Amino acid sequence: MSPRTRIGRVVALGSQVSLSVWFVLPLVPVLLWAAARSWTFPHALPEEWGLSGAAAALADGAASAFVSSFILGLMTAALATPAGAMAAYALTFGRIRHERRISLLLLAPVFVPPFVIVMGANVALLRLHVPSSVGLALVLMVTAIPYTTFVMRSAFASYDTGIEEDARTLGAHPLHVLLRIRIPMLSGALTASAFLAFLVGWSDYVITLLIGGGQFVTVPIRVAAAASGTGNEALVAALSVAAAAPPLLLLLTLNVMSRHRSLWRRKAAEPQAAAIFPLIGANS
Amino acid sequence: MRRPLLLLLPAVIPVAVVLGATLMLGLAQSLGLVPVVGDAKFDASAYRAVIASGDLWPALYVSLAIATAATAIALVVGLATALAVRATRIGGRVLATLAASTIPIPHIIGAAAIGLLLADSGWLPRLLGADDGSWPQLVAGPWWGAVVLEYAWKESAFIALVVVTSMAADAEELSDTAAVLGAGRRARLRHIVLPLAAPALITAGAISFIYALGSFEVPWLLGRAYPEPLPVLAYRLFTSTDLAVRPQALAVAMITVGLCLAVGVAALGLLRRRSVLT
Repeated sequence: MSPRTRIGRVVALGSQVSLSVWFVLPLVPVLLWAAARSWTFPHALPEEWGLSGAAAALADGAASAFVSSFILGLMTAALATPAGAMAAYALTFGRIRHERRISLLLLAPVFVPPFVIVMGANVALLRLHVPSSVGLALVLMVTAIPYTTFVMRSAFASYDTGIEEDARTLGAHPLHVLLRIRIPMLSGALTASAFLAFLVGWSDYVITLLIGGGQFVTVPIRVAAAASGTGNEALVAALSVAAAAPPLLLLLTLNVMSRHRSLWRRKAAEPQAAAIFPLIGANS
Repeated sequence: MRRPLLLLLPAVIPVAVVLGATLMLGLAQSLGLVPVVGDAKFDASAYRAVIASGDLWPALYVSLAIATAATAIALVVGLATALAVRATRIGGRVLATLAASTIPIPHIIGAAAIGLLLADSGWLPRLLGADDGSWPQLVAGPWWGAVVLEYAWKESAFIALVVVTSMAADAEELSDTAAVLGAGRRARLRHIVLPLAAPALITAGAISFIYALGSFEVPWLLGRAYPEPLPVLAYRLFTSTDLAVRPQALAVAMITVGLCLAVGVAALGLLRRRSVLT
């Protein structure tokens, strides 16, 4: 839908600029507050610059919260990625009888709000004496499975099994086929689904709050505690940067990696689709 | 494949067990069958109590209003973004990168950021020089402005992503062909772009709506104390020191999940009808 006239180009540029402002605007005060030492109302910019917010965040226990968040993210990715990949493989190639119904079941957690899951299942977890860390892992895994299954299904849909058959004909052991062909060929999609599952654990607030019962203090929980009080702007901003930076850096790294890989494979990817979300484009 | 069912189990068992336990035990608790205190009974008294308290109807109303307003804005901005991304090369790539970078930001961080932007002493009133009390009360205000805008901000990027990745390159070709044949901008939008984007808009819109309906942290942080949206109401009842109101919390949770499932089924129905027609 590229513009053909001069007016069309002006309209396109104008909408690109205003939409860019829409997406960036909420992040500007976070960055300003994170770098402000003193910023009183009604000044539009901080009067003194400094990292007092970061110092307050460290004193508030941000480092251990950061580690807890990371563990939750990694745990969710480690559980949901292989489960989703195996299910997607079976659903694509296994000639399962109730394929539609099972697909719908694996998608269903998207339709059930996390607070409902925790409130409904909490009784079972308590009566069966499931440790809260196990309960937390289980619920986060279930919340992430729709995403990992979906990404892997779209990857398998365009997956060429011919190479595997060639390898098997040449006498390759099934384990070899899995480790040397299937996993390397799907590495882009596997990374994408692991990233999405990591995000589920890293971003979660209400599941950690209700199941953890104060045991697991993650970055989102610190942010919520600081943001619900008043006069904590610098602290909130520093914690927000700590919560937003790792996934953004991860996305950037994966983006660069997938671009290298596709260059190496000399594949021309659809440029815009690859730019807005490189990970899903990376697996094809 | 020799044992496809075995490969399904690591995903199917956790999902079936957790969702089954959630819905069945949730329903049982809301009907008084699994009381924290007192004897088990079987009746709808928790539902009656939460209606009698006068909290349920305002909660339903405000939750649906927030989700509708936020999803409507997100659909318009998301579609506009998806189209603007394809309009020019460099500008499109910048916009795509900025939109994509908001997607991995957690909602609670988005809520904190919107608070720093839109509160009475936030950055926007400072920037616009509204220091005389003329700034509308968006955070904790009567119109839930900050809550709606937080959802709209995060979900518009998600909707744009889904539309861009699902609308194949043939949309571009069809649109170009139509332009050559004399179709104007509006005609191309109505007869080519919108029909091709519709499945993505329905899917992503339904997911956004359900998210806004069932999310606790955003209205809790940016909303006002009364009326409480459904998740905030359920949370207050669930964490109350009065354990006798626990079934009411589950009643609110079951009503919320019922609404979410209804929206999901409606979206699937819409998608199916479209695929039959085309």
